[in-house]
Amino acid sequence: MHGLSRNLKLRACIGSTAGLIGSVLLVSTFRNLPLALALAVAVGTFYGLVYRPAPRAYLESLMTGATLGVPLWTCLSVVALPVIAGSGPQWTADAMRILFPQLVGWVLFGSALGLLAQSGNDAALRWMEPLPVTEDVLQKNPHKILIVGGGFAGMTAAENLEQVFGPDPTVSFTLVSEGNAMLFTPMLAEVAGGSLEPSHISAPLRTSLRRTAVVRGRVVKLDLERRCVLLEADHLESDSPTHARDEIFYDELVLALGAVSNYLGLEGVRTTAFDFKTLLDAIRIRNHVIDLFERAEREADPVRRRQMLTFVIAGGGFAGVEIAGALNDFARGILVDYPRIELDDLQIVLVHSRNRILPELSETLGRYALDQLRDRGVTFELEARVVDAQPGKVMLTSKEIATETLIWTAGTAPHPLLKELPFRLERKGAVLVDATLQVKGQSDIWALGDCASVINAETGQTCPPTAQFALREARTLARNLHAKQKGRSLTAFHFNSLGALCVLGHQTACAEIVVPYANRVLRFSGPFAWMLWRGIYLSKLPGLERKVRVLVDWSVELFFPRDIVQTIDLK
Amino acid sequence: MKTSHDDAIAGFLGLVVGSCGGFLLWRLGLASSLAGPLFGGLFGMLFGLLLRHRASGPGTGLTWGVGLSFLFWLALPAGIVPVLTGSMPSMGMLDAARSHFPQLIGCVLCFGVPLGLSLGLWNTVRLEPNMSSMYLGRRIFGGGLAGIWAGWILEKWMGQVGFLPQVSQMVEVRANLVGWLLYIAFASVIGAIFGLLFQKEVRSYGSGLGWGAGYGILWWFLGPLTLLRWRSGQPLDWSAAYATSQFGLLVGHVLFGALLGLLYAVINRICVWFLTQTDPIRREPEGLGANTLRALGRGAVASLAGGLVFSVVMVEVGFLPTVANLVGGTSPWLGFAVHVAISTLIGMTYGILFRNEAPNFGSGIAWGLVYGLVWWFLGPLTLLPALLGGPVTWTTKAAHLFLPSLVGHLLYGAVTAVVFLLLERYHGRWLRMDPRLLARELSRRRPFGTAAPALWLFVLGVGVLLPIMLG
Repeated sequence: MHGLSRNLKLRACIGSTAGLIGSVLLVSTFRNLPLALALAVAVGTFYGLVYRPAPRAYLESLMTGATLGVPLWTCLSVVALPVIAGSGPQWTADAMRILFPQLVGWVLFGSALGLLAQSGNDAALRWMEPLPVTEDVLQKNPHKILIVGGGFAGMTAAENLEQVFGPDPTVSFTLVSEGNAMLFTPMLAEVAGGSLEPSHISAPLRTSLRRTAVVRGRVVKLDLERRCVLLEADHLESDSPTHARDEIFYDELVLALGAVSNYLGLEGVRTTAFDFKTLLDAIRIRNHVIDLFERAEREADPVRRRQMLTFVIAGGGFAGVEIAGALNDFARGILVDYPRIELDDLQIVLVHSRNRILPELSETLGRYALDQLRDRGVTFELEARVVDAQPGKVMLTSKEIATETLIWTAGTAPHPLLKELPFRLERKGAVLVDATLQVKGQSDIWALGDCASVINAETGQTCPPTAQFALREARTLARNLHAKQKGRSLTAFHFNSLGALCVLGHQTACAEIVVPYANRVLRFSGPFAWMLWRGIYLSKLPGLERKVRVLVDWSVELFFPRDIVQTIDLK
Repeated sequence: MKTSHDDAIAGFLGLVVGSCGGFLLWRLGLASSLAGPLFGGLFGMLFGLLLRHRASGPGTGLTWGVGLSFLFWLALPAGIVPVLTGSMPSMGMLDAARSHFPQLIGCVLCFGVPLGLSLGLWNTVRLEPNMSSMYLGRRIFGGGLAGIWAGWILEKWMGQVGFLPQVSQMVEVRANLVGWLLYIAFASVIGAIFGLLFQKEVRSYGSGLGWGAGYGILWWFLGPLTLLRWRSGQPLDWSAAYATSQFGLLVGHVLFGALLGLLYAVINRICVWFLTQTDPIRREPEGLGANTLRALGRGAVASLAGGLVFSVVMVEVGFLPTVANLVGGTSPWLGFAVHVAISTLIGMTYGILFRNEAPNFGSGIAWGLVYGLVWWFLGPLTLLPALLGGPVTWTTKAAHLFLPSLVGHLLYGAVTAVVFLLLERYHGRWLRMDPRLLARELSRRRPFGTAAPALWLFVLGVGVLLPIMLG
């Protein structure tokens, strides 16, 4: 700061001196000598402060200074001074002709000012210490904020931190993620159903974040003593010189670990079922379905064929219903390409433990969704649970279903890493945080999203683990981190849900939209809700490029059949 | 040793060319037999020594030449000399400037142009002896095409101010078709010369527009004021009175030049896309579309500030109802809305034309002023009467009437440029966090040491001076 103020004082001094000397050319064209002198010094000072010429650029400074004489004449002689004097701007032809000498004076003054200021700057560079220049480059020991988890919560937290801190070189951000992209999970069912290309619903972390260092890796340990996280080694050699890269130190830690599938202790389910959480899961499901269709086309035994073409989805929440609808559309849509397969061979079964699906929505909409999917051929096993699964069959509480496909969406649990930490956890294993999203008992550790139990400060209720809450938690967390850094008070988190949307398949969906401040809930279903679903989630998809790609995919789908190319062989 | 040898050659070249220029001035009756060659030689020698490194090509040298010669004229014949000789009570009197108007043209055409071209050519031969023919061909082709295109666009308005008959008189044929053919031929030749001279200066569309405007002013000195009169057998008349009668062609030449420069930049960019293999390693990290959208957005925001400042001028002179006439209304509020819409569009184009042109605020303001000046020639003098259904008003009378608007356009340009640069700088702070991106940004931005300051002075100086001086 001291250097900066010395810099400014020196430049002001050079400018004012140059202006004073150059005023010789100006005063002869002004009637008011003191005014001309004052203006010359003021302009010179301003010029010296604002304009930093390159070394030995005499000709450039001469010409630039002369050029600036024109707007100076326009602003000062033609407009400002006459207005201050009460006679109004002198911008008519006759008035400007009268002021013509001042135009010449200002241009020549400007050229002299440029030349003299350049000389002064060069002399200062030669005979004094180099003038310090402010650098925005990241400082050597910035305050390190580390975010663990590259999902909705983690990436949005990083984006918001970049926004609130701006290009502040005193703070650095690092994001550790197992994947190199953030998955937009609401559209995952469309990938499994072949409506969207997999990469189009993922936003690469490196290109989405401006100044956050992205590290791809799996966190194996959090060392709270040393304030670092340990990543799984990404190299085979044990004595690799890159060992240092496996530890990342922090000053503030943000946990956004998300959730993992909860198999409820069913080992058979864990080994045989398809997950539905990641992009790879969706790709595997789609390719598995195509693979089964290809095999079923050659299968002569009708029982065996039916087994292949029976798809069981466990869980009647949003994820389960959406994948059921997408799979149903996809399977029925590609039937025409497999002439030996009959419609009756195909069966989509949704297993749910309660008597209605979509418990997050109203009963009306839940019933609507059930009726719609049933009309489209989906079979429901309500008030039933999956008790075991083996290759070739799934055992429910009341029956067995012969199938080669079980998709598990029946439960999630917070990341198992949290169990190893000395934090207070709630019943399901999520870390308890206070109203400001700091982990209870830890001043420099924060948590949000599915891995955290966040209490809504207004309602006192636990926030549901959904994307819209994760996004708002990320915003509050970023502001709180910034406030803590600047010594201001922190804000408690509160957010009222805006509603919920669930797509049921081709051109139909359910939607509940909360009207803010009116305490009303609007319910929609059918094609309008489907358009609402697509419009809202398209707008939420990160990145203009991704929006364009998804829009193109949806447009192509209008005119062409589903793609049945098998891209990976699951054997 | 080599450096001092080159200095000597440059100085000697300047001395010879400057002396010849001074001799020519004496022959034209604009200087004495001693003062002309003597001062010319001195000026030329100084020019050669100071610009030996800067006049890296004929176009660069020409730009420095015309800029310095204009400053020389402003300082001496129009400024200090009348005071020293006692003919005027103080420096910079209008009558002195008017009476020395021939010296302005003389300085530019007899000193600035030959000195700049000769020094630039010498440096080109010395430093780039093996310039590829394809590279030259692209310049000539691009410039010629841009010239034809610009000429064709402005043909109707140039015809309204009687340029085509003047051109046809050069071959002593009074046929419209001949005049038109000659006009297009000249436009293509002038365009091709632009391409040959200013390829290096035209880094983007904005600098193309700026250099074109300066080139147009130069061709007004050279064409209507000099060559056309000489070719039609009339004695040279560089007086302010004759220049006043040719004011309409000044406007036409400025617009032709600006359009030529802009079109040349576009054609040049297309040639690069089609003919040069792009390197995927140098792909934009943020996407070409993202940068363009950002420039448009910044330009629109910046123009709001500039437009608000300009609207104060418009309110003061009561011009808003005239602007409202463009959409068939008369209400000042409608005029204000139309004015804001127009200024937003112009600001958006500023963003596209001038991004990365300004390494600092001084440069940014200068480019903004040039842009505002070009829009003054294009807007009130050309488009406004054309859109209201009348002929263009390329007269000194119209120029005098719209002088307040000139002030407004200059302020608009400067304010828009400053705000745009602030927005560009703010985004740039993000880029400085990554040295690789910073290096890429710096390589795109116009560096220090180009002839842009000379161009600004010439365009702004002459462009603001002439409407006031003439008439």
